[in-house]
Amino acid sequence: MHTLESELRTLRAEGIIDDATAGNALALDRGAVFSLQLELRATLYAGVLLVMAGVGILLARNLDRIGPLAIVLMIAFAAAACGVPAMRAKLAGRGLTVAGDYLLLLAVLLGSAGLAYAERQFTLLGPWWSWHLLLLAVVHAGIAYAFASPRVLAASLTSLVGWFGVGVAAGEVLQFSYSTPSLGARALACAAVIAAWRYTDRRVRPETSFGSVFDHFAANLAFWGTLSWCLEWPWLAAGLPLLAAFAYGSVRRGLQTGREAYLVYGMVYAAIGICAVVVPRLHGMTASFGFVLIVVCAAAAALWQLRRNLREPGP
Amino acid sequence: MRSRWRPSPAEERWLEVESRLGAAVPRAIVAERAGGWRSTGLLARTALFLLGLIAAALILGVLGFRDETTLLVAGVIAALAAEWLAVAKRLHASGVEEGLCVGGALMIGVWLTTVIAPRSGFAGGTLETLVLIVAVGAAGLRLLNPLVTSGAVIAFVYWVGATPVARALEPAIGSGVATVVVGCTLAMLALVLGARAYRRPSHDRMLDWLVATLPVAAYARPATWNVYEAAQIPGAGGTVRLAAAALLLVLAVAMLVVGLRRRRHAPLLGFMGCVACLAMELRLATALATETWLILYGLAALVAGWALDRYLREPRNGITSAAVTHREGPLDLLQTAGAAVLAQRTAPELPRSEPPVTPGGGRSGGGGASGSY
Repeated sequence: MHTLESELRTLRAEGIIDDATAGNALALDRGAVFSLQLELRATLYAGVLLVMAGVGILLARNLDRIGPLAIVLMIAFAAAACGVPAMRAKLAGRGLTVAGDYLLLLAVLLGSAGLAYAERQFTLLGPWWSWHLLLLAVVHAGIAYAFASPRVLAASLTSLVGWFGVGVAAGEVLQFSYSTPSLGARALACAAVIAAWRYTDRRVRPETSFGSVFDHFAANLAFWGTLSWCLEWPWLAAGLPLLAAFAYGSVRRGLQTGREAYLVYGMVYAAIGICAVVVPRLHGMTASFGFVLIVVCAAAAALWQLRRNLREPGP
Repeated sequence: MRSRWRPSPAEERWLEVESRLGAAVPRAIVAERAGGWRSTGLLARTALFLLGLIAAALILGVLGFRDETTLLVAGVIAALAAEWLAVAKRLHASGVEEGLCVGGALMIGVWLTTVIAPRSGFAGGTLETLVLIVAVGAAGLRLLNPLVTSGAVIAFVYWVGATPVARALEPAIGSGVATVVVGCTLAMLALVLGARAYRRPSHDRMLDWLVATLPVAAYARPATWNVYEAAQIPGAGGTVRLAAAALLLVLAVAMLVVGLRRRRHAPLLGFMGCVACLAMELRLATALATETWLILYGLAALVAGWALDRYLREPRNGITSAAVTHREGPLDLLQTAGAAVLAQRTAPELPRSEPPVTPGGGRSGGGGASGSY
């Protein structure tokens, strides 16, 4: 165990930090205040993950035995039950607790699974089946706003991204061979929609807590889209300037808000884009490796320097 | 007097103060007391670590893969670059010098293995594997990096489990039990050592990482075999599982008590890992269908989380379920990503017989695009 009490006391004695900051920091350092939120969130996330995995297998294995209507009703009932704590908190005028938030997320996910299953079984939307993703995005957004839940908003945005035909799993994104200009265009369109949504949200609700969720989705989608455009001529002519603009915007946003994630996005995506554009046009392994090495070193140096200029908010 | 090779304990403590207080303390004041050593945030450090590792691999690529000596040359260049960044630029825990150093150490280690035994493989508790583990461990100690030292210790635990001695013991004590015993013993040792007061925060962190990761890591390797064994050989390994379960139970209780007493996250995370391992053992001992135990365990985790949240809504003895800082950190980003991954997994659970997806058209279709997928 280590304690920074002497350093914190020195800073307070010299008047470098105020009493309140010093008091909070000392309380945390001594363990006088100890938050179990990390453990709590990990437990709740694991719970949601396990239940959803189990429900997925249950649906796949017992389709014939239980019957589609019974399954849909069971899932709807379970989803409603999971939403009860959030509803009670809402009716009592309280904020959503961490557990209530995760149970609400489970309710929403169960609802998604139920709707996907019902759509498949009863072909409710016929050839327009993929529009159920847009429906999910709208319904989840309504729930997210009703309960002020950033996690449910993330589920809503994921459905929206799915409706645009863009995967968000890392494995899919990193498969450059599958990236096409059409995929890039859809990703960029989706990013634009999310950015517009974010802008409207901030205008209508200045106290919004959804800003960072919108920002992360929009930034990643915009970068994925431009990277897809960087792989092929003539899209490259638009992709490269867009990539530069997004990288600049991302870095600027990071410096303005004190969030290093945007610096990382800006520098890493820019480095990937430059390599994706130049390396296929180089001849020989040594030249290719050498160029990538230069780009990696430049990106690392730039990221380091930018991070030094960033000031994180206080505790 | 300013330290030369790495921050002195006092300097490292000031770096820790800077990381905890953020903008609340002027950077110039901390920089002066930290002896000019400079660090970075967690996300940037992770990205820079990966960039450093990639750069180390690219040095090898530029030199070409002609013979084994290239490994040594590339490794030495990467290690020297890392040392230059640390000593001349005074970078500590910045990621890039860590990635370069680990990459360099690995390449030098691989070269050493080619000198020791040119034609042997790396698996099975051999001397070559140990050389690699020592190389990575030395890099971790040089950098005071908990991720790298923990990785080396976990690899060492696996190495012990793969030695001829452990394999000879397996018929008597059960398959994989040696790995679990060594891992749990080292975790317990780290837990005991964690009670000491350390000047360097990094020493504390290295022990914390061992406490949090070793039980799960040590259990994970034989667990794969146990699942197979349970499925293929009815009644096999019952006593083995009992011994492993008893060990994990003792460790779990110790970690919970220590975590609450010391008010430290690492023992509590280790406790959660032990509980997960015990849950796995319980699953192996029963004949429940996969979906049933997944749902049951998931519900148990949700109920436990809900009860804990409710119980600690009002702080009890200073312990609370509320957040104590409003800084957006990597955990918030992880949660957003986690919710997105879960949401994406629900939609394609039941794909149609003819998936309307073509490569490049996205996984879930794309109603808004063309409709031609």
